[in-house]
Amino acid sequence: MVTDNADLTDFKLKPMKCEFNYLSKSDGSAILSQGETVALVSVNGPQDIKMQSQSIEKSTLEVIFSPKGGKPSVGDRYKENVIRQTSETAILGCLYPRTGITVTIQELEDFGGLLSCSVNCVCLALLNSGVAMRCVFAAVMCAIDDSGNITLDPGAAQLETARAVMNFVFDGRDRSLITGFTEGNFSEDAYREALERCRAASELVFTFYRDIVKKYSNVIG
Amino acid sequence: MNVAIDDVVLPGDHCEEIATAGEKSKVILGPGLRKEIDGVFITKAGVLRKRAPNTFWVDSYQKRYVPARGENVIGIVTQKAGDIFRVEVGGSCSASLSYLSFEGATKKNRPSVKIGDVIYAKMLNASKDMEPELVCVDSHGKKGRLGVLEDGFVFKCSLNLIRKILNPNCPLLGSLKNEWPFELAAGMNGRIWIKAKTMRETVAVGNAILGSEYLSNEEIKSMCTNIASILAGHIS
Repeated sequence: MVTDNADLTDFKLKPMKCEFNYLSKSDGSAILSQGETVALVSVNGPQDIKMQSQSIEKSTLEVIFSPKGGKPSVGDRYKENVIRQTSETAILGCLYPRTGITVTIQELEDFGGLLSCSVNCVCLALLNSGVAMRCVFAAVMCAIDDSGNITLDPGAAQLETARAVMNFVFDGRDRSLITGFTEGNFSEDAYREALERCRAASELVFTFYRDIVKKYSNVIG
Repeated sequence: MNVAIDDVVLPGDHCEEIATAGEKSKVILGPGLRKEIDGVFITKAGVLRKRAPNTFWVDSYQKRYVPARGENVIGIVTQKAGDIFRVEVGGSCSASLSYLSFEGATKKNRPSVKIGDVIYAKMLNASKDMEPELVCVDSHGKKGRLGVLEDGFVFKCSLNLIRKILNPNCPLLGSLKNEWPFELAAGMNGRIWIKAKTMRETVAVGNAILGSEYLSNEEIKSMCTNIASILAGHIS
């Protein structure tokens, strides 16, 4: 099931390509490329987990980020946390008490924007796995350079010269902000402007999700 | 986003049509739909379906089984604990099956079930907060087709494929059963048990089922005749 969306090339974000059910053994999986950055996500669950990590009112979400090099570093742990908290707001964990959902992210290529690519890929893998969700979510990243220009979805070269890098994750229901993750220094006005631009651009990601699910429901129907 | 029946839906979409139907009469919400304070929301990606008068659900893709009441499932006995058997059905925790819930079973006359046996049973009780419970009899105390499945071959597939082959409109089982005899049990938990006369025939049924996952009804028919001719050619 390969789907791609070439229409987005002439727009503000890098072209996205996605394949569902990339892994045959996991309960849900997706591979997503945004420009040259590629991430692969596998979702397993709701399944049985250790007694001490069970919660009697909701499912326990575990996120594992494996970088290309193999061993996860402190920075990767931070990414795991960002992604876990983001997906926890979206997943309806209360429907699966005393179970665990494991999300494994494998970095395949990183040419900038790996975090937002991973978040989007996690959302797609969750859609594929059939886990009940409150809403979908989409991540958009932007960079601010020295002269204060905001670039949406920057490439590797722009990231090197950037003064600040921002990642925003939006809710699919009312486009409200779920997660904000920023690095570098910037003014409050720049933050507000970047937020609004990213919010507008997130519409493209949501349209992309719907297009993919449309193509794929023809096959599964 | 507001959606209508037969639309492609994503989690977080809401359906006004269901909400207005609910004001007048009772509505049944199936899988993938959830009532919240301010309306009915979608929780799974797929296609929104309706059956008259007022039943709604979302057709979605899934591989992991979540136990639901009244479904027939195929499980494997993993443990005998006192008066119950533990049966692994693919859900988040194993299900329990009392030895008294077999046809003709009494405290003296225990059913002969061993660890590792494959069991075709009905979900009696499946609440998210409790361990699911299985039975091998219907409400009249008769076993019907439920019980231990002897011999045969079990394999796993996606939950959609089970729903697809059990759909009366699907020509797969109809065309296969005319070609050669076999027995088949499909569990809603994504497991299929097949028993045919030879290994070749078993493999042929299994491949036909797995191959039909992404095919249309026309393609399924031609695949079945194709498999039958290959099988016949080798046997004779």
